[in-house]
Amino acid sequence: MMPDADGMNGPAKPAPSRSVVRAMIWATVPVLLLVQLLASAGVEVSSFWSQIRQLDARIARVAESRAQLIAEPLWKMRYDRVTGVLNEIMHDETIAAATVYDDTGVAIARAGASSSGQALTEVSRPVNYSNGNMAVQAGRIVIAYSYATLYADTGSRLGLLLIVGLLATLATMIAMRISANVFIGKPLAAMMSAIQRSKQDGRAYPADVKSSNEFGQLASAFNAMQLTTSGALDRLGHMASHDPLTGLPNRRSLSERLVTLSGDAGSPDALIAFSFIDLDDFKGINDTFGHDAGDKFLVHISERLRATVEPEDWVARLGGDEFVVIRPEVSNEAAAMAFARQLLEAISAPILLHDKQVVPRASIGLAVRCADDPELSHLPALADIALYHAKSKAPGTVAVLDEALQRHYRRRRDLELAIPTGFAEQQFEVWYQSQVDMMSEEVIGLEALIRWRHCEYGVIGPGEFLPLIERSGNNARLTRYVLTDACRALQQLAAAGKPHIRIALNLPPSELADHSFAAELRDTCNRFDVEASSLELEITEGSLINNIASASDTLRRLRRLGATIALDDFGTGYSSLAHLRRFPLDKVKIDKAFIREIPDSAEDKAIVGVIASLAGTLGLTLIAEGIERAEQAQAMREMGVRLGQGFLYHKPQPLDAVLRGLAETGSGDDRVLADCPSIAPEFA
Amino acid sequence: MTVLSRILLAASMAFGVLVPAGPVVAADAKPLNIVFVNPGKTGEVYWDMVSQTMQAAGRKLDAHVEVLTSERNYRTMQELGLGVVARTDKPDFLILSNEESAAIPILEAAEAAGIKTLLLSNTLIGEDATRLGPPRAKLKNWLGDITTDLTTAGARMANALIGAARNEKWQSPDGKIHLLGIGGDEITPASIARNAGLQLAVAAAPDVVVDRMLFANWTQSEAEQVAANYLGWAQRKGIRPAGIWAGNDPMALGALKAVAAAGITPGQDLQIVGLNWSEDALREIKAGRLLLTDGGHFLLGGWSIVLLRDYADGCDFAASSPHIEVKTSAITRDNLGSVAALIKSRAFDRIDFARIRAKPGRCGQYDFSVDMLISSLSPPSSAGE
Repeated sequence: MMPDADGMNGPAKPAPSRSVVRAMIWATVPVLLLVQLLASAGVEVSSFWSQIRQLDARIARVAESRAQLIAEPLWKMRYDRVTGVLNEIMHDETIAAATVYDDTGVAIARAGASSSGQALTEVSRPVNYSNGNMAVQAGRIVIAYSYATLYADTGSRLGLLLIVGLLATLATMIAMRISANVFIGKPLAAMMSAIQRSKQDGRAYPADVKSSNEFGQLASAFNAMQLTTSGALDRLGHMASHDPLTGLPNRRSLSERLVTLSGDAGSPDALIAFSFIDLDDFKGINDTFGHDAGDKFLVHISERLRATVEPEDWVARLGGDEFVVIRPEVSNEAAAMAFARQLLEAISAPILLHDKQVVPRASIGLAVRCADDPELSHLPALADIALYHAKSKAPGTVAVLDEALQRHYRRRRDLELAIPTGFAEQQFEVWYQSQVDMMSEEVIGLEALIRWRHCEYGVIGPGEFLPLIERSGNNARLTRYVLTDACRALQQLAAAGKPHIRIALNLPPSELADHSFAAELRDTCNRFDVEASSLELEITEGSLINNIASASDTLRRLRRLGATIALDDFGTGYSSLAHLRRFPLDKVKIDKAFIREIPDSAEDKAIVGVIASLAGTLGLTLIAEGIERAEQAQAMREMGVRLGQGFLYHKPQPLDAVLRGLAETGSGDDRVLADCPSIAPEFA
Repeated sequence: MTVLSRILLAASMAFGVLVPAGPVVAADAKPLNIVFVNPGKTGEVYWDMVSQTMQAAGRKLDAHVEVLTSERNYRTMQELGLGVVARTDKPDFLILSNEESAAIPILEAAEAAGIKTLLLSNTLIGEDATRLGPPRAKLKNWLGDITTDLTTAGARMANALIGAARNEKWQSPDGKIHLLGIGGDEITPASIARNAGLQLAVAAAPDVVVDRMLFANWTQSEAEQVAANYLGWAQRKGIRPAGIWAGNDPMALGALKAVAAAGITPGQDLQIVGLNWSEDALREIKAGRLLLTDGGHFLLGGWSIVLLRDYADGCDFAASSPHIEVKTSAITRDNLGSVAALIKSRAFDRIDFARIRAKPGRCGQYDFSVDMLISSLSPPSSAGE
């Protein structure tokens, strides 16, 4: 739409006056000229014929009058006088020759040369002589005359008419052009220019047309329309840049505002405080009180923000429950922080919704930058990082974007961007940590744990990059990667004579919802010629809760293949007993949080004891994570927990190291802890 | 010349005394003082001859004739006439010619001044005649007029042509005798009278037609031209021209030239007549190319002196009429000889004017015929040097 309109604008600028006026002139002037020429030619031709008739009559009269004059000299034979009379009429230039014949028919007087060069017309009249007692025809007068003069006159008059006609047409054309320009072109141009100016800056300019004719009326109608349009445009513009609910500027205004800020900064080292506010659990309010109440809530919040800020501050709602407050000049970061806290405080006053008191909570990400910072346009993104941090680390507080936060953010962003490369260059590695029978200290299984050997940041644990993998939609790919690696490991274990050792995989919630996962697992096992029963799939309670039906469906299929299912991190989340009953589980993993204080903490011992008895009752195998000390292993054994996993036995290590360790255990009994990078098993 | 005239005068007086019929006025005759305002131009044959006969008669009849020439300018004529009237030494008689009616103011002035006047050749006509009435009525001093009967002259000339044509049988194929008339003009009484004479004569002759009455302004050249035109026309019409009637001698001579130029022999194939007794005409008559020339009216000059002499001597011409009309006469080859020399030499002193005077008791009765003239002539030798 816009480019089209612009395309039409450029070359069309002088067009209206020219085309309309020119078309009018082309339509009227040739007709005018033709009619004028035809009319004048018609008049001239008819005048020519009447002149011919007049000339005939005149020459006839001349002949008659001369006949009277010459009658007597002719009769009285004064031929010299006859000739004299004839010569007189030769002054008439249309007369070519005149001849007088006497009664015998002989020419007795001649005047003029009867040249045969041109067509001549003759008129003949008798010469009658009479006196008192006689009347005779004394002879005849013949006058030869030519229409040549008439032809020439008519020709020159036609030429003159043509010239006059052309001049008149030219004058008409000029007059039409001028008047059309004045009466049509100018008003059109005025309106056109008003339209163009309006297009340039969106404001409504009236067309300056003062005449009272149709164009004047059109112009006033146009101006009225401009006014209406301008109001509508203003409203549109306001709507485009403002949030209709709260009347605050919207996200679109933000970028303009930032540009203005960088330009308007009083001093280059003035600090700008950018607060990114996000209401905590606004969804809950919507769900609880309905959307109308949610809207009312947002309006309240916006009013509070408005009331809190100074006139020079700027408040906007970016959408949903996100607000932005910009204070264009703060003395230092502390002042900015104080201001943000002030905002938070203002927001937190209770609001009455449906007669219920609701205490709004919000998190604020604060970014402070110099006015001349070239990255001023990144302020929202920076504040967003801080906000994210606040929300994830301490909701309901203010987080300032500091160096560490920014570094963290930058690392996260780098890792996110490096995920495709990670897959392509096989930077992801699967390490294995052994699960041990604490009675016999025999390795009965391995847990596959993913690591990212990043070229810049080194080996990165799954706790940091798995959320990034999930966000980037690569969960399935990573899971299959791990699955494939585990199957290969099973193959190698079998080859190493340890076919009884099973491998456990962590199954992310998204894969649990994927019905095709079971089939893929089967295919992969077939490919590596390993038993699905050698695989154990570890799931978390969270992944079960979100999609109970499909999760249980997937779990049943996996179990039908022979794989066992282990509930990971038990005791930290919901620790729902119902889950233990409802889902087809084979094993429960006690979270290391309960193991850490054992044997010192009696509470933890009691909890583990309860879990152990429950598992025993439900027929579930139990395994304890995070066994780091021998006392812990001892305590577990005493409480009937037979299986354990932790640094006391093995740290996670690459398969080669695991295989070497197994081989050594098989031959000797000395336990060698692999010399590999020590990483906190966040996900273990 | 003066010596000679005195001798002549003395001789005539002596003769008059001796002649029994002559001495009517001789005893108490007193010399007359007469002024003539000549309307013509010096060299104009007719008017010169009028003056000359007038002066010749004066010498014969004891009258001093003073001639004032107007040179054909009527203003000059009036100035001259009025000048005479205003003189202290007034003449006895003033002779005027009323050409173009220009003499009327002089006539009236003379009336007032008590000078007796006589009109010669041209008298009062039209409105003037009505207004001023007959002589000696309103204008007591206007004695009368002496004019020529030109109508008769014209008719006589025509009849001479007709006679000749009939004799020679010059009829055209249509059986008629075709004549051409050449008039001087169409307005002056002198011309109108002559032309009327032609018409009268032709009207009386049913076998004669005048093809055209042409006008040539009294001049030879114009007459030659119109005559030539006529001859050409006549030839084209198949007409045999029998005669040309010309209002005066110059026009007759012009016609003569045209006729000759047309290859016609005048006198043999065609006759031409003129009027005026001009020398050239007489010569052509003698040569047989011109049939006749009528005229002799230049003698009015002499005749007027005769009238005034008689009037002064108590024999008033008004006894018969104040209007004296003199018949003209034709000169043909027959009577050419006696007059030709007189005309040629202008020896008018040969005329014995005393013989022309009225006889006692018969006042107003005069014989001005050519025969009388011829008989009154003295032999050329007696008057010549």
